Amino acid sequence: MSSKEQILSALRRHTRETYEMPDLTQLTPITYADPVAEFKQKTTTTAGARLIEMAPGDDLNALVRQAYPEVKVIASNLPGVEAQLNPDTVSEAQTLAQAEVGVVRGAIGVAENACIWVPQTMKERAICFASEQLVIVLSADCIVSNMHEAYACIAASADFFQTYKFGTFISGPSKTADIEGALVYGAQAARGVTVVLENNL
Amino acid sequence: MVERHDNTFFGVRQKRDRMAQALPEWEDLREAASQIKKHTITHLADYLEQFEQNATRNGVHVHWAIDAKEYNQIVFDILQAHGVKKVVKSKSMLTEECHLNKSLEKQGIEVVETDLGERILQMMHLAPSHIVMPALHVHREDIGETFRRLIPDFDDIAKGYSAIGGSPADPNDPTFLTYVARMHLRRQFMEAGAGMTGANFGIAETGDVVVCTNEGNADMSTSIPKLHIVSMGIEKLIPDYRAMGVFQRLLARNGTGQETTVYTSHFRGPRPGGEMHIVLVDNGRSSILSNQEHWQTLKCMRCGACMNTCPVYRRSAGYSYTYFIPGPIGINLGMLRNAMQYSDNVSACSLCCSCDNVCPVKVDLSTQVYRWRQQLDSLGKADPMKKVMSKGMSLLFNHPMLYSGVLRLSPVVNWLPGPVVACSLNPWAYGHQMMKFPDKSFHQLWKERLL
Repeated sequence: MSSKEQILSALRRHTRETYEMPDLTQLTPITYADPVAEFKQKTTTTAGARLIEMAPGDDLNALVRQAYPEVKVIASNLPGVEAQLNPDTVSEAQTLAQAEVGVVRGAIGVAENACIWVPQTMKERAICFASEQLVIVLSADCIVSNMHEAYACIAASADFFQTYKFGTFISGPSKTADIEGALVYGAQAARGVTVVLENNL
Repeated sequence: MVERHDNTFFGVRQKRDRMAQALPEWEDLREAASQIKKHTITHLADYLEQFEQNATRNGVHVHWAIDAKEYNQIVFDILQAHGVKKVVKSKSMLTEECHLNKSLEKQGIEVVETDLGERILQMMHLAPSHIVMPALHVHREDIGETFRRLIPDFDDIAKGYSAIGGSPADPNDPTFLTYVARMHLRRQFMEAGAGMTGANFGIAETGDVVVCTNEGNADMSTSIPKLHIVSMGIEKLIPDYRAMGVFQRLLARNGTGQETTVYTSHFRGPRPGGEMHIVLVDNGRSSILSNQEHWQTLKCMRCGACMNTCPVYRRSAGYSYTYFIPGPIGINLGMLRNAMQYSDNVSACSLCCSCDNVCPVKVDLSTQVYRWRQQLDSLGKADPMKKVMSKGMSLLFNHPMLYSGVLRLSPVVNWLPGPVVACSLNPWAYGHQMMKFPDKSFHQLWKERLL
């Protein structure tokens, strides 16, 4: 018998009483009267990120340049962003560690914890982690109250996990408290995060 | 030292309380999580098959390991087939349980831990003392000394730090040391031939593996090297995304008192041009299921909250336990692993039951510790002194005449010479001043209406 068969048969043999899946529709999770306001507040406080509002007609490239005036190496595959590195065409992921700023697009924002769902829409997702600073562009129309709503959106959508089989929720910059419990931003991944919130008409 | 440890972890417990109180549905979430886990664990074979089918369809190679030995061999074989000499690894208690690092190193593969706490411990040759915050017991001075001694380009990195942040006044400043570790680990990510992660959750319906970190080290480990190996205990499975919402909301709030971890990453398949492997590990889990009194330990999602709240853990720290997972859950998991070897841990519990009240999936931790204690005698592990005392007490309390006689005579002890009373047969005398027996007992005072 293979290990798989042994494990499965042991599990079936050892299962006594069985339990039903609970009805999760009975759960009433927290919602906010103004999820966008809550999202902005959580982003700039607990998550430790910066937030820039983008009005209809604003130029994303100009906003990024304004936010990081000294920066020489930007990585992005978003249309309209002038970038020195493109995560779709770099020969290897390692190159993206040279990026001072990476600019990517998020698809869903979550008000309760400032998470942004960033699906992989580029060949090398290292841009999301290896860049020194990360800019996430998010439409204010795509903000939900809580994680239940976010997961329901992901499960119902055909947009994710198609070309690239990865997606991540990101809430602010990489951080650690492993040395004597002192909170430090910039552990292994992006040292800082700027959320560009697109306000539509 | 004890006070700092106690305060640090009780601080985490208080942060957790604030998170719990901020959500009106908190108790409903815990109940839902407990029920989802009970359901999944009692249908685990079906869910594992569904998970394997979906992961395979997504292009992932799925392996099954019955024990630690087979697991270590599978990982080694994958690495060898790819000619990998160096592996970057994010934190996984399962690899700790199976002694993977030692096994790989013996066969000439370098393993680099990338969680900052784990990396510090690895460099200092220490074991984790907590499952979520593994190195909080180590002092910054010792970390600084270790980095200066073992990181070859320490001075260059320090110069780079001066360029961006100025020189720190304290050479062991946590921000500075974190920067040193960041630059040191960046090089490891670049050079490694494979990235290994654990799994916080596996989702049967989609085949996703979900990994939650604050540092982003699991993501660095898997977005740069092209080979990704996931090590997953079979109990980590949950049915679907609806369940995932419940667990994502509980894990960080309950474990570290944060609304979320910085990264909640869903791995559904290999990178372009890469390979992804999932090793499903049993190593005793399927037999736990048959244990009527203890099967619910399988619900545990390793958040660490039971340690943070435990008065014994907080005052004694991780190394005072003999199993590699400390605290209430570690006591129980150790007993399930090997009751003969780890039975001494069951006394590290005051039965205050605080752990039961903070567990996000409602594992009845203290009840289980109590049950293990009832079994100590049958394991031949009961303390002989306590057995004699129990017999003596049973004799005394079952015979009222004898009891009152002894009680009346007890003040005699006050007149005995010190060394006779404080002999090795009297455990009370060890580290204690012997108390004075009062002339009149409570019973007498009561009868004489002196109270």
